[in-house]
Parts: sequence; structure tokens; C-alpha cells
Amino acid sequence: MIATKHNPEGVTLSISSTVEQVCLLSVAIHALCLHASGDEASAMAVQCAVVEALNNVILHGYKNLPESDIIVHWTQTKAEMRIDIIDFGHSMTLLPEPVLPDFEAENGRGWWIINASVDEYYYQVVDTLERARTYQPDGSHDYSEAVNATTHYNKLTFIKRFS
Amino acid sequence: MILHEQKQDDIDIVVLLGRFIMADAPEARERIKNLIDNGSGKLIIDMEKVTFIDSSACAVLISAFKNMQVKPGRLLLVTSPVVQSLIELTRLHTIFEIVPSLPAAISAFAA
Repeated sequence: MIATKHNPEGVTLSISSTVEQVCLLSVAIHALCLHASGDEASAMAVQCAVVEALNNVILHGYKNLPESDIIVHWTQTKAEMRIDIIDFGHSMTLLPEPVLPDFEAENGRGWWIINASVDEYYYQVVDTLERARTYQPDGSHDYSEAVNATTHYNKLTFIKRFS
Repeated sequence: MILHEQKQDDIDIVVLLGRFIMADAPEARERIKNLIDNGSGKLIIDMEKVTFIDSSACAVLISAFKNMQVKPGRLLLVTSPVVQSLIELTRLHTIFEIVPSLPAAISAFAA
């Protein structure tokens, strides 16, 4: 795990996409949240949400492909913690409903836990576009344009408030 | 996570310690299934010293519950506050048989 500190309010942690790394990162997030809020319940709740999100990224975003990057950026304001979880894997096309599955189902509880653990969450798919304009030697200002999404990243943001 | 297997009379006991998350789930699932398949039908999963649990760990517990129903047998869980909290959040406490301590679980089988 790599940690960098960009500013007084924020810490960025980076891991590769393996389940073994989730433990290390989630312990770090718990410690940051506990330090910021002084509230064990809030820190534990954020840790629960982050672990579920990281599991989802590894399983569904990266399809269990190791050695891909997951970046977690943690910031704190006066009474709020914000956690951005960034990956470069497959994007979701909608946020799953936070509903409990039937008891017998072994999977499908992650978004329920996330929804119950943080005050707000939202998901962004950020595309980087390549715009290619082609001008012909006819003296006009007309051009043809091709636009392609060359890279993208996904960002899941959690917000947890504390008093 | 650390997983110990114990036996008291004909009761199989799995003691889990530390963090029980997705990285630990495959091994835990396999070892608990083996205990159920080869055991007497009395199993205690002691998580009193588990410090963190996620939905992957819940899946292991559900799998154990279903395997024990098939055997058939009885599964008792001993939980820490953190484990209990997630089990209640996911409503699994309505299905699992949860007892407050390992001695209480052993007594429950003796009764």
C-alpha cells in the first residue's frame, strides 16, 4: 500500500486489486476516521462501506484481475469525512438497489451495508475524450471531427457526517 | 484471520480470531464444510474474538447454515459486538441461532 499526503485535510492510499490488500487499506481508513471523528461507531461504519466497495471493485470492476490500481482518497472537513474510491475497471451502468436478498442468497448484501453505513454516496464514471479535428486543404474553416473516449475511471464517493 | 478447530465431546467448535473478510472466506468456507460433512451435526462457530466482518463472511455463515440443514444438524453462533452488529444489519439474526458465549453454546447442546 502506498500513502501520500496532498494537503492538511487529505490522504491518498493506493493498493493493487487483490483481496489481501483490502484488509490493510480498511484498517488505515478506520484509523483515519477514528482520528478525525473520535467516534468508533462512525469509523466502523465507514470501514464497513469501504470494504464492501473494495470487494465490489475487485470482483466486478476488475473481474479478480490482480495488479490493477485502486486509489482511495480520504478527506475531512469540520464535521464530515469524504472517501473517494477510484478504479479503472469495468464501470457500472446503474447503482444497484440497496435491498436485502432472500436469506438463502449468499451474495447481494454489499449495497445494503453501504447504504446503511454512510450518509450519502454517489458514483461517477469519468471519461477522458480525445477530439480529432481534420482540416482539408480547401481553404475553408470546415473540419470533420472524431471524438473517442480514450481512458476512463470510476469514482465512488462516500460522505459520513459526525458531530 | 486465524481459524482453530476444537472438539468437546461430540461438539465441533470453530474458533475465529481477528478480521473475517473476503480474503479469508474461501478457506473458512472449505474448513467449515469439511467439519459439517464429517462431524456429528453439532457445530459452534465462535466469533467472540472477531474484530471485523464483511458480507463475504456472512456468505460463509449462510453456507454453513444451509449445509447444516442438509446434514441435518444444529449450528450455533457466538458473536462479538461487531459481528452481531452486521448480522443484525443484514437481518440474519432472525435465522441464525446466536448464543452469548462458548460455554452457553456448549450448554445449549447438552440441554
